[in-house]
Amino acid sequence: MAKVPVQLRINQEDYQVFVEPRKLLSDVIREDVGLTGTHVGCEHGECGACTILWDARPARSCLLFAVQAEGHEITTIEAVSHDGQLSPLQQAFHEEHGLQCGFCTPGIIMTFESYLKDHPNPSEAEIRDVLSGNLCRCTGYQNIVCAIKKAASMITTGLQKG
Amino acid sequence: MTVQTIKTKPTERAYQVLGERMPRKEDFRLLTGSARFMDDIEIPRALHACFVRSPHAHARIESINTENALAVPGVVAVVTGKDLAQWTTPFRMAPQIAGLLPMEMTALPIDKVRFDGDPVACVVAVDRYVAEDAAELVEVMYKVLPAVTDMFKAIEDGAALVDDALPTNLVSSQRYAHGNVSSRFAKADVIVEATFSQHRQTHVPMETRGCAAVWDEGRQFLTLYNGTQVPHPMRTSLAARLGLKETQVNVICPDIGGAFGQKIVLYREELTIAALAKTLKRPVRWREDRRENLLSALMAREDFVKTRAAVRKDGQILALQAELFSDFGAYSFFPANYMISVVAMLLPGPYKIQDYAFDVKVALTNKCPAGPFRAPMSITSWVTEGTMDAIARELGMDPVDVRRMNMLRSEDLPYETATNERYEDVTPYETLERAVQQFDYQKRREEQATGRLQGHYRGIGICSVLESTTYGSEFYRKAGIKGTGHEAAWVRVEPTGVINASCGIMNSGQGYETTIAQAIAEGLGCKPEDVAVHLGDTMLAPYGMGSRGSRGAVAGAGTSYLAARKARDKVLAIAAHLLGVASAENLNVENGNIMRLSGDTWVQTDLTLYDISQTAYLNPLLLPPGMEPGIEIHTAYDPPAMTYSNATHLCEVEVDIETGVINIGRYVIVEDAGTMLNPQIVEGQIHGGVALGIGGVLLEAVVYDENGQNLTRSFMDYLLPTAREVPNIEVVHLDTPNKTTPVGLKGMSEGGVMGAIGVVCNAVSDALSPFGIVIEEQPLSPGKIKSLLRSRGVN
Repeated sequence: MAKVPVQLRINQEDYQVFVEPRKLLSDVIREDVGLTGTHVGCEHGECGACTILWDARPARSCLLFAVQAEGHEITTIEAVSHDGQLSPLQQAFHEEHGLQCGFCTPGIIMTFESYLKDHPNPSEAEIRDVLSGNLCRCTGYQNIVCAIKKAASMITTGLQKG
Repeated sequence: MTVQTIKTKPTERAYQVLGERMPRKEDFRLLTGSARFMDDIEIPRALHACFVRSPHAHARIESINTENALAVPGVVAVVTGKDLAQWTTPFRMAPQIAGLLPMEMTALPIDKVRFDGDPVACVVAVDRYVAEDAAELVEVMYKVLPAVTDMFKAIEDGAALVDDALPTNLVSSQRYAHGNVSSRFAKADVIVEATFSQHRQTHVPMETRGCAAVWDEGRQFLTLYNGTQVPHPMRTSLAARLGLKETQVNVICPDIGGAFGQKIVLYREELTIAALAKTLKRPVRWREDRRENLLSALMAREDFVKTRAAVRKDGQILALQAELFSDFGAYSFFPANYMISVVAMLLPGPYKIQDYAFDVKVALTNKCPAGPFRAPMSITSWVTEGTMDAIARELGMDPVDVRRMNMLRSEDLPYETATNERYEDVTPYETLERAVQQFDYQKRREEQATGRLQGHYRGIGICSVLESTTYGSEFYRKAGIKGTGHEAAWVRVEPTGVINASCGIMNSGQGYETTIAQAIAEGLGCKPEDVAVHLGDTMLAPYGMGSRGSRGAVAGAGTSYLAARKARDKVLAIAAHLLGVASAENLNVENGNIMRLSGDTWVQTDLTLYDISQTAYLNPLLLPPGMEPGIEIHTAYDPPAMTYSNATHLCEVEVDIETGVINIGRYVIVEDAGTMLNPQIVEGQIHGGVALGIGGVLLEAVVYDENGQNLTRSFMDYLLPTAREVPNIEVVHLDTPNKTTPVGLKGMSEGGVMGAIGVVCNAVSDALSPFGIVIEEQPLSPGKIKSLLRSRGVN
């Protein structure tokens, strides 16, 4: 299949890649752009490991072609921390042992970086409902839920202070 | 719902660093997307492989036409079993175990395929998209054979043979008896029978299998990048099957996205990739997709157990008999009796049962091969505790009382079991009583009775777990299995006083870089942040047995601790010499400072670990006479044949009899994993194990149709538990040290699975007891519960 040029904007930087139109966005982000923090767990949109932000909303990058991404703002896990400083959500995952093998973690972080912006004070049931879109085989989810709750309160407190 | 972890730490701390809830060292890279998993490693000019897999469960391979696939631009090679047979040797599984038939397999099948998903050819191309396109053009002509998909039918006369080299599908059969079972049965007031049927499941690490092989023609050297639990055994197998020396192969493990037992063996696919890299003299890489993982990586758990207990009227168990039957699938990557024998060995559980006999059978079928899956003995606790519940039902006793009557107590320890296992420093009775108290068992029983009057079908499950961990060399010798259980570690205090360390286990989420650093910091007397643990490169790490069987704590951290103690001895010998004192007796290292005992108190000297290391490496003339420069320690340790952790799980479920849906309510675990390296990590392992057990009981099932077609090829069909199904778990720790291991470690991480399976099944049986329903078969889907209810006339 002939390759085509594709203009991508990822983490506020512009990239031009030359890929087959059938190439998945997840594969292009990883292989052509070199941002390997986005993981591929099923390629069916079921596990959530490849979740990125598409115009600030969570999306499964394995269900999109890179050519569709032209004109959209993509954010990946690599943009969440700044200068080695973890975001409150990442910090809470670290403190609460919210990850084990860490393969599913970037997808969960991306989902909740977005979710907590719109829902600063979620209940445990709401967190579990949203989290059910991301599969984790290691943690049993309990510490992930604790971490998200903690992050929500860290962010809210931070906002009040700010 | 209550979420709490109650710490029952002794008031006086025995250790400085062990037992700290230290956040993990490995988290930063994993949280920021900068970890390196297999697929994240860039290898210039690497070719990509895709396997052609059998669509049939059982078929003769008549011909393979690769012409059209080879014609696709970008395709470099297409190879079959015949090609690979020139470059690799077959794998033979033939341990000296009575009743076990030897089996052999080639790199890829040559004459026939044995299950849906069996690999028959491999396409190598410039990228994965092209390789997948071409794989569809490989034409394989099959002559379809009758498939054997049911383990019970597999051993009937006239069943099609899975392995043509064997006379039968009954690949393994053993019997064992201890005590005088028949005379004890003759004395019984009642004989209680129970059956337990567990379905086929698979590991499902979030990162599927994959590897990359790089052949260096000049050095005649192969590097295999592969997320394996056992780097060194993997290197040994790979070298042998490629006809290379172990000096010509390195296995490098990047970060692993979960393993759970699925990443132990050298898979046929991995061997193929390595052989292709060597033959084509180009790097080759492979990443399976999820469908392949669900079809053709290992599976597990398809076990059937029947127990017969001889019991006195007062509830005392006189003797126990068990029949065990397991479905092993189509090939032998492990000894066929390996997993189910451990079930038989542990089946009497934490109970005083000396008169015990079992009969174990294992059948081959045309299904994906079986292998150990986190808690290979997972069914055990359900069987033991389900038998206890069956006795309680038969005698009209409270299930807790039946357990109390038969359970081992501290005065019975150490206890030699009917299967020659030694239980010591375990606390089954204490965890049971503590769990009953924590759960407010009596009150919940009363509320259960009231609830039933209002149409709430709640059930309380109890499951005691005795979890075998570590598996020392003596276990392997006793079982007749190839392999050993020792471990090796090195610790180097570098010239700047910081510590590099390594050992042979490999991390796939357990946090070993943190817990081993804690063990070394404890042993040496330094800060854990000054210790860096490097795992997974066989040219860097000492030869060890890898990660399996909950051996990370005792074998991994334990050996590292012993190496650190030796490093400490050397540090103190140097310090004593520099301080001009006769012996190191009154010296210590704490937080990297050299301390000396002055009267009753420890006071800091002018020396630190930095000063000692500077001397050891850069000014060796100041060392005690005859001492070697440097502080580099290598040590090996062979743990006991087995160590045991234990726990009691108690949970409450409610069954909606309208829909058949099971909701898990409160879930309490009282756990005794000995001295804990890091309680936060222990709890994480418990939570994860329980989730895995619950997934198996409620949701996960590999389904084959009668022709051997796998019907569960995606996450839409093979259902994993999500955050909505897994409850919060309250964990209470008792930490009784094991007296025979370094710092009293025991190991843990599989008991959570065992306990969850037993406790949920028992709770559902309890909930449905008004209908006379006993759970004898998983998974407990709503459909299954509804059909059980309908069979009792409840619609």
